[in-house]
Amino acid sequence: MVSMRAFDEVCLDALRRKAIHGELHVGIGQEAIGAGMAEALRTEDAVVSTHRNHYHGLAKGVDRMAFLAEICERETGLCRGRGGHMHPFDPANNFSATGIVGASLPVALGYAHAFRIRDEGAVAVGVTGDGGSHTGAFHEAMVMAGAARLPMVALVENNALAISVPFDDISPTRTVAERALAYSALGLHVNGTDVDKVADSFAAAMEHARSGRGPVIFEATCHRFRGHFEGDPEEYRSREERQKLRDSFDPITLYEGKLLEAGHSDDAALKAVRANEKAKMKALLQDVLDMPSPDPSEALQYRFVEEMTA
Amino acid sequence: MSAIQRPGDRLSMPLPATIAEAIGLEMERDPSILCIGEDIGRAGGVFGCTRGLQDRFGKDRVMDAPIAEMGFAGMGVGLAQAGMRPLVEIMFADFIGVCLEQMYNAAAKIPYMSGGRQRMPIVFKTAGGCIGSAAQHSQCLWGLFAHLPGLKIVAPCSPYDHKGLMAAALRCDDPIVFIEHKALLLRKGRDFRHNPHAPSEAYTVPIGKAAVVREGSDVTLATLSATVEHALAAADALSGEGISVEVVDLRSVVPLDTATTAESAARTGRLLVVDEDYLSFGLSAELSMRVLERLGFSALKQVERLAVPDVPIPAALALEKAVVPGPDMIAEALHKMAQGA
Ligand SMILES: Cc1ncc(C[n+]2csc(CCOP(=O)(O)OP(=O)(O)O)c2C)c(N)n1
Repeated sequence: MVSMRAFDEVCLDALRRKAIHGELHVGIGQEAIGAGMAEALRTEDAVVSTHRNHYHGLAKGVDRMAFLAEICERETGLCRGRGGHMHPFDPANNFSATGIVGASLPVALGYAHAFRIRDEGAVAVGVTGDGGSHTGAFHEAMVMAGAARLPMVALVENNALAISVPFDDISPTRTVAERALAYSALGLHVNGTDVDKVADSFAAAMEHARSGRGPVIFEATCHRFRGHFEGDPEEYRSREERQKLRDSFDPITLYEGKLLEAGHSDDAALKAVRANEKAKMKALLQDVLDMPSPDPSEALQYRFVEEMTA
Repeated sequence: MSAIQRPGDRLSMPLPATIAEAIGLEMERDPSILCIGEDIGRAGGVFGCTRGLQDRFGKDRVMDAPIAEMGFAGMGVGLAQAGMRPLVEIMFADFIGVCLEQMYNAAAKIPYMSGGRQRMPIVFKTAGGCIGSAAQHSQCLWGLFAHLPGLKIVAPCSPYDHKGLMAAALRCDDPIVFIEHKALLLRKGRDFRHNPHAPSEAYTVPIGKAAVVREGSDVTLATLSATVEHALAAADALSGEGISVEVVDLRSVVPLDTATTAESAARTGRLLVVDEDYLSFGLSAELSMRVLERLGFSALKQVERLAVPDVPIPAALALEKAVVPGPDMIAEALHKMAQGA
């Protein structure tokens, strides 16, 4: 969690230094979900993520340096600077993302079908926000995954807002997980600010899907601490409201509290962990900023097979 | 395999059977190919382009999908990313609106967005064309798809090309929109004027190469899909009057074989582009411009285009005939060009 947050914090730094363009979506406040996923994911599993994809990529084992270099639009990035922060693709780790809300689920469905017919025992995770759970694509993918009992987990990061619109105002159901019934899927709902709970429950979801019992809607409730994107004026909520969320629902602070209470750690040790991760990520960013941008003369390259290099 | 058929027998094959044969041969050759679409399994496709394939290859490789195009088009993207080679059938081109997202934002862009690291071998097979089915069931739309970078767009005419281009599409690592024409899908081999015979064995036709399907000296007519047949009919009709028409079958919109068209036009001195798709911002303007850019703006005596004049396809056949280029309309356009010479 600490290293994920440090990763996003250097992204903010890179943005200030104009190394990143476009609407950057960070996951600060949602680390328990990224970290909670990591344990149960295997290399052969697939994760298809969203516009807010950094933590899912890190959880999937995407190389940090290549990832940050891509976010910073470098030739040495995961996608040679052609994808950027919203469109990272790492075929070796079966990790991909989409900037189109809801569009991740059908792609995960494809992975799930391939895994099933090849009998590989792998699971496809399609990530969406609460907003994406209202799309037709979500429904269509769940219909097909449910009917064929495919090894798919729809991971719903319910941070209570789709840009400005509160989930409670527009959802016909109290949770997304309870819609699972309609698809013969398992529905799990978990406090997405408690990393232990997320990890246990996500592992159960993966096991369910992996063992051929069909798809899962795994919903983790959490809060986004920053704007929808960097630069969001956040007219829809007050500073105080935001501060209250930070004070009450920070998954890192909550976990540190648990460690302290159980006597597993002390203040100094926890501070050192945070400082250490920060320093590591800062050094990583420095390395990345020294890397070259793509060559403008190659702007047309990589559209078709004829344009591929080694 | 069944007993060897003589070419004569094969001419009685419906075009969809030839397409099914191509897909079946490729599926035998490559176990990573699989088909998803509505009514393609039990029914073998509404035109029969996948008939018999589910029995041969099973439900996992020839899947009847629910009416959820966004879902199964995206499934195709995921399958391709997972190392499979999906053929996704969207019954009619008109329905692509509901899943265009997965085609133009995902399939088309991911190879580029990944810096060439994620290949996208996927064939979106669909039926287009105007056959009296009115505005929501009579469109070609290749101009629309061609406008979106990253997709290869194939629209064959002859049975020979349908088979060879389908095989080539299934072997290609890029996303391909393979547009059949509903009127051609209702034909048998012998109904075609050009290249009616598709041999029984597997073969490919290269994607992106046009073919001169009729030689002539007065005017070059470039077109594709069913309009090639109309063009050949019009050219035959005009030959009696001493007007000699060269017909180029483009076969694909992306890549667009400008060289073959330009070479022919340079010889005849005149170019007519005929397109069953909408006129504006489409194939006819694009090809004319590319030919002129290549040959120089004063190289040709005449450049004309004929396409659907920016109107939804009307239901009444008399109206459809008035807006969709058929043999008569093409002959008239050729006449006018001959007079203007
Ligand atoms: C199809 C589509 N519509 C709208 C948008 C613009 N958009 C980007 S993110 C977003 C909100 C998504 O909310 P949610 O799914 O809850 O994810 P979160 O941003 O909260 O992580 C919107 C409307 C988009 N990218 N795609």
